[in-house]
Amino acid sequence: MAGQSAIQIDAVSKRFTPTGPLVLDNVSLTIEPGDFVCLLGASGCGKSTLLNIIAGLEHPSSGSITVASGNAAVMFQDSALLPWLTASRNVELALRLRGVPRARRRSEARELLDVVNLADAAEKRPHELSGGMRQRVALARSLAQDRQVLLMDEPFAALDAITRDLLHEELDRVWRETGRTIVFVTHNVREAVRLGQRVLLMSSRPGRIANEWQVSGDAHRRIESPEVSRLSAEITDQLRQEIRRNAA
Amino acid sequence: MLPDTTATRTTETRNTSLIDSDSVNDRAAVDHSVTDHAAVAQAASELRTLESGLDALQSVAVTEKSPWRRFLDSVLPPVLLLVALTAAWQFYVVIAQPRPDLAPGPLDVAASMAELWSDGRLQLAVLTSLERGGIGFLIAVAIGTPLGLLLAEWRLLRRALGPLLSGLQVLPSVAWVPAAILWFGLSDATVYFVILMGAIPSIANGLVAGVDQVPPQLRRVGTVLGANRGQLATLIVLPAAMPGYFAGLKQGWAFSWRSLMAAEIITMGGTIGFGLGSMLQQSRELADLSAVLATILVILAIGILVELVFFAPIERRLLRRRGLRPGGIR
Repeated sequence: MAGQSAIQIDAVSKRFTPTGPLVLDNVSLTIEPGDFVCLLGASGCGKSTLLNIIAGLEHPSSGSITVASGNAAVMFQDSALLPWLTASRNVELALRLRGVPRARRRSEARELLDVVNLADAAEKRPHELSGGMRQRVALARSLAQDRQVLLMDEPFAALDAITRDLLHEELDRVWRETGRTIVFVTHNVREAVRLGQRVLLMSSRPGRIANEWQVSGDAHRRIESPEVSRLSAEITDQLRQEIRRNAA
Repeated sequence: MLPDTTATRTTETRNTSLIDSDSVNDRAAVDHSVTDHAAVAQAASELRTLESGLDALQSVAVTEKSPWRRFLDSVLPPVLLLVALTAAWQFYVVIAQPRPDLAPGPLDVAASMAELWSDGRLQLAVLTSLERGGIGFLIAVAIGTPLGLLLAEWRLLRRALGPLLSGLQVLPSVAWVPAAILWFGLSDATVYFVILMGAIPSIANGLVAGVDQVPPQLRRVGTVLGANRGQLATLIVLPAAMPGYFAGLKQGWAFSWRSLMAAEIITMGGTIGFGLGSMLQQSRELADLSAVLATILVILAIGILVELVFFAPIERRLLRRRGLRPGGIR
């Protein structure tokens, strides 16, 4: 796989109806294996649409997309766990659909839940878990898919600040341990700077990639650190400019 | 842009089978220093404790009532009410002294029930009706379930048949009795036909409603996890539709039981056996009001028993697993 990019997006455009507005306009992007890319933008910039296209849930109107590992794991804003299954069974379902033999599913699910520090909650059902715990089970489930590429659509947007801060650390750790390629969609500038190696700012209507920043990957950077603040301020200014363009 | 401070990042823990190690080296310089490794391990364990603490703060332990307590809570109020109503009834009969053939007291009704029991008619009627109701209901489930699945997943069929099925659900199934007698004569087939016409639309429509209420997000998750059409239906859509389907089953049973009683009252003789409806009709012909009331009470009691013994526990389990609470029964 050396030299091959994890995700290759070539001139992708998207309209939901043939006469409808252009949601994505000629987006091209190359993501290398092991990259942590944050897609940042105001509402309506098509960042979720782009993610769904990468996930194969939607098709581009024109252009092409190649995911080197064939397919991608996806995590949504709401954990989307199956409410009638325990945490462990939710993870096992992903293993089952991946073709893991029955005998190994249980122990593998335990290991994956242990990765997100939830081995003790394996027999609990989603309604017995807090929002943060549910998202961690969802993370374990997407790790169970064993795909090189993990797509995340505002997975922490509905959580309280303390939980979100911990989950940033958790995700950062999991990323460093597993070497996944992560594409993370958010409208939270600080979150993007805290997590990403590459932060891509998208403009709205039509969605284009307006700018890109490289962030040095210090393992211990915090969301409240001055570097994060400085870069966040810079990106926010530009984000506001992009939003202002839509005023007229 | 930030100054690059990645020189101290560790990669020992990285699962290199998942990723080409060259690209790891591109991103970060590998540093095997022992102190750094210890620092990362300490950070990880700190994160674990933090997370466990927050999890403990955010989860509330659910305290389950003991089965005995639950039994008392759910059985005591209706039983007390029943005793009070019966006492009031007996009180009225004693005080007002109405004509016994128009307003029999609870004791008269109890005597009638004992008489029906001693000559064996009560047992025969209960068994016949329960057997027919049960078999009819099972046939209705066997037909209604695949029909509901077809309707839920095949749009054209749903557009064509959906309104008709909803209409049938509203149509009182007693209306089919005259037609059924002409078609099948005075036989069990008449009774079963009426039951099926009453129950199948409810069961099919319940399943359709259940499938319609499956959050689209769950289907997307199934697709993302790599489920094919069959797996999507059996592993995700059907279990997700269970509450709606179960509500349909309950309604289907109610319609079966009602249709059965109506059919038994209207159709007597021929090869039709002796059911509760037949017993009701027979008592009416004999102008034996206390036997009529006794039979009504038996029919009512069977309806309540089936609900309490069969449907309620399944429903409680079904809803509790999903974090929902059935209304009333707690």
